[in-house]
This record gives sequence, structure tokens and C-alpha cells, in this order.
Amino acid sequence: MNWGWVASNSHQIMAALLQHIQLVGLALLFGFLIAFPLALLAVRWPRLYGPSLAVTGVMFTIPSLALFILLMPFTGLSMATSLIGLTLYTLLILFRNIVQGLRGVSPSVREAARALGYTPARRLFAVELPIALPVIVAGIRIAAVTIIGMVTVTALIGQGGLGQLFITGFTLSFATPLVIGFVLSVVLAVAVDLALVGILYWLTPWQRGVR
Amino acid sequence: MTNESRQRASAEDRDTHDSSAIVFEGVTKRYSDGTVAVETLDLTLPAGELTVLVGPSGCGKTTTLRMINQLETLSEGRLLIGDRDVTSVDATRLRRQIGYVMQHSGLFPHKTIADNIAVVPRLLGWDKTRIRERVAALVELVGLDETLARRYPHQLSGGQQQRVGLARALAADPPILLMDEPFAAVDPIVRTHLQEEFLNLQRRVQKTIVMVTHDIDEAMKLGDRVAIFSQGGKLAQFDTPARLLSAPASEFVVDFIGADRELRRLALERLDSMELDAGLTAPRDEIVARARSYLQQAGSGGIVVLDEQRAPLGWLDWETLKQADDRARIDSLPLKAWRHRLYLHDNLRSALNALISSPGEVMPVLNAQGRYVGVIDQLQLTRRLS
Repeated sequence: MNWGWVASNSHQIMAALLQHIQLVGLALLFGFLIAFPLALLAVRWPRLYGPSLAVTGVMFTIPSLALFILLMPFTGLSMATSLIGLTLYTLLILFRNIVQGLRGVSPSVREAARALGYTPARRLFAVELPIALPVIVAGIRIAAVTIIGMVTVTALIGQGGLGQLFITGFTLSFATPLVIGFVLSVVLAVAVDLALVGILYWLTPWQRGVR
Repeated sequence: MTNESRQRASAEDRDTHDSSAIVFEGVTKRYSDGTVAVETLDLTLPAGELTVLVGPSGCGKTTTLRMINQLETLSEGRLLIGDRDVTSVDATRLRRQIGYVMQHSGLFPHKTIADNIAVVPRLLGWDKTRIRERVAALVELVGLDETLARRYPHQLSGGQQQRVGLARALAADPPILLMDEPFAAVDPIVRTHLQEEFLNLQRRVQKTIVMVTHDIDEAMKLGDRVAIFSQGGKLAQFDTPARLLSAPASEFVVDFIGADRELRRLALERLDSMELDAGLTAPRDEIVARARSYLQQAGSGGIVVLDEQRAPLGWLDWETLKQADDRARIDSLPLKAWRHRLYLHDNLRSALNALISSPGEVMPVLNAQGRYVGVIDQLQLTRRLS
């Protein structure tokens, strides 16, 4: 470990970390914005579930590097390429967990909400989503951790957050950037995961002491 | 309250109740696959009464209930609440004016008990203070401990959850209450208890209640009127429990009510509906010789001995009297006590049970103060049966 290198490049390391967080955050956000309406449709019309799962599943199986290269002719070496790729990878997990969560709301609870005079929208937001929240957040956690690892791959198309440190270390045959990139990436994954667990605990007081 | 104002108040009550009678006019429910759940139903559920819909499974009773708050649509016919056609009212608004209790309480697992009860008032946009007061009043009304208000449904027993379900349905004080097998999911002991409390509650709140059950005993016990449905959504008979027992409209009704129909009928009548025999009685300080002559004159096998307050002490039979000393007081003799006491408000079925297990031929009947009013014997009751 060369701490001198760390000190003189702290700016660059920080920027890489921030970009990493930004890519992960935006990919999760866009992923959720696409998966959520898709999940609502699949819950409403169960016939859509199979095809949606197949499409998002196929996307999940495309090797990440291949996907980025496939996107290059359209979006070039931009952040868009990286974001589109990462977003597609979140879809399967988010979609499946949102559907599972909403399906897990017991029919009698749904029926009660209808019978008491909830409008469909209010029923979704005030009853079904809160009850589905633990399963949905579980999906976000898996998606977040998956994406945090995958961002580093986008370094090959000039993005990549902490992945850039790997490239630097590799080209210079110099271990310090590799170690820093590795440690920060792992710490970020653990921190995000714990934060999500904390948020869920705070949002679901009825779950405390159940498990 | 003066007599006059009380009369006026009850007249006003009646007016608001009149507006919430529920009228089915030739209502049919047919599903897209062609099955008919309810067939040309004509039925008027009177305001302020508890009507029970009962029948075998698949008879359309639940569908009938669910059409009232538009959880099911009608295929044909008209359904009126008061003079409003339900299909002309927005379903969401209609439902907020109709209480709904379901079999598995259907409580929201993510809301506290207080928030569950507050659901409809919140949907109606009540202010916070009013909601808080209403919730507190309801918690008390349905007999829940107020410390439970901040708990979550899964922390409560089945019976407690069912009480919360009832409180939630009553929260906005709707004129109509629909109940879909409300007591089916709790164990029998809790069920009996809840049913009795519910009857008391209904006497106080006087709402138009429609309840679905598959349990004929529950129907007869709770209903002011009972609608018996047969398979295929046809109404077999709609009447008071007493009339269903005394004048069943068809073989189906007879079968459905069951073999112990006569005993059920007894359960619906109270002792004060009968003309009781004055019976043969003697005060406790009577002497044996006189008691003996009473018995001989009346040709009876025994006599009821009363104390100074006219409460029965026991039964003195002829065998004991015959062997006793002429001048002895009768309360010095061995009297036979009754294991049960019968009061004027007891029903004839419990009277019959008590008579079967009691010594002597007759059993004294007491008024609410515990004083003797007359006797009843098995013969009288058997005459009632036929």
C-alpha cells in the first residue's frame, strides 16, 4: 500500500466513488420507474406476468460486457450507455419482487379495502404497497448489491466509478488503486444494504418483533 | 326527556331507518360462464332489523349480500336502499356509508387497531379530534381494552380481531351494516359470547343489519327475520324465526331447519307467554295435618313449600307427608330442592331441560325478584310441542 499515492489522488478517488454512487442510484431509480408500472400491469392482468418475466430474465442473462458493447453504436462511450445497461440488469429483480410483494397481500385485506370504500389508487398506495414493502425492499437490496459490483465493468467504456481505479492499477501494475477500489466497492455495498435494512425497519413498525 | 320528546325522537329514528330499508326487485345475478347465483329475487329487508341470509353453500346468500354494496354487480332487476337505486350511486361513496364485517376480520396488518378503526372516518375526511374521540368510543362499545388500541392486529386473538372488525364497520355510524359470516372463524365458546354481545349491541344501535351465515342455529338466534335460500339462488322462505318453525313453506325449509325443529320452537318462547298453573303451595310454618288434607283434596303428589318472602324452599311429596307426625311443621321435614331455578324470562326449552332433571312433577316459576308465581309441568310443555 502506497499511502502517498492515496493522499495525492484523494480527489480522483472521491470523484470515482461519487460517480459510482450516482450510477447505482440512477440505475435503481430508472429500474424502479420501469419495473413498477410493469409489475402493476402484471398483477392486474396475470397473463402479462410470464412474458414480462421472460423479457427481463433474458436481459439479465446477457453478459454485461457484451451488452455495453451492443449499446455502443447507439449511445457511444457515454454515461447513457452505462446507465441503460445497469438499469436493464435491475429490471428482473425489481419486477419480480414488486409482483411477489403485491401478490402477497391477502385477498381478505384487499377485499376489506374495497368494501370499506377505498378508491383503487388509494388502496394501492395506502394498503397494498405498505404491506408489500418488505418484499419490495428485499428486491431493491439484491438489485443494489448486484449493480454496485457491475458498475466497475463499465470502466471499460470509460465510465465505471470505482472501476476506473482497477484500470489505473492494472495499467500501472500498481496494487494500491486496486485495493482501494476493491475495499471502497465492498464497503459501499455493505453500507447501502444496511441502510436499506434500516429504512425498512423504520417504515414497517408492524413487523417489529414478528420475525 | 319528557314523554312527548321521547316519542318525537323515536319517530325521527324511524324516519332515518325507513330510508335505509333494502329492497330487491327481481334481482338476478348471472356470471359470464352462465351460472346463476341469484334468481329473480324479490325481498324487502326492513329498516332497523337484523335479517339473516342462510342456506347451503352455493345458494347465493353471499352474492346477495355483496350486491348491496356493489361488490357484485346485478345482471337484472333493481336494488334499492331506501328510495335510492344502488347502481345510480358511485360505488366508493356508497361503500363508505355501509359498514362491512367479514369472516376473517380482514384487518389491515400494517395499521394499529386505532388506525384500523379510523379507516372510514379518514376516508370521509373527518378532523383528527373527532376521529380520536370516535375511536375511543368504539373501542369501548365493542368491549375492547383500550390498551389494545396501539397494538397491531397480529398481536390480538381471533375474537378480539373480530371485535375490531365490528368497530371498524361501525366507525362512521352507517345506517346499514353488512356481515359476511362474522362469527365463523372464532371458536364455539367465543362465538356464543360474541353473538350475545352483538345482540345487545344491536338493541342499542338499531341498524339495518344483513348477516350471512351457513349456521341455522345462529340464524334463528340472531335474526329478527331469516331468509332461507336453496341451491341455485332461490329464496325458499323469508319470515321470522317463530313463523319459520310453525309454518315452514316447503319440505326444503323443514329439512334445512332440522329434525329438532320442535325443540327450536320452544327455545323461541318464554315462560311468561304461557298461562301458568297457580299450583299447590303451603307456607313453611304449615302443619303436616293441614298440608295432607290439601294434597288429598287436590289429588296431587306433592306440594311446593314457600318461605316468608314467597320464595320456594322445596318440594314436599306425599310419601314424606304420610309418615310424618300430624302436628309437626312442614319445614322440619326433608324437602327436595330443585337443581335449577326457572324464571319468567327463561325460554321453554330450558324449562323442559330443567323439568326433566327435577324431582316431583312440577317446577316452580319465579319472577325477577325471585318470588313464586306459579308452576309448570311436563304435560303443559308437551302440549305446546304439538
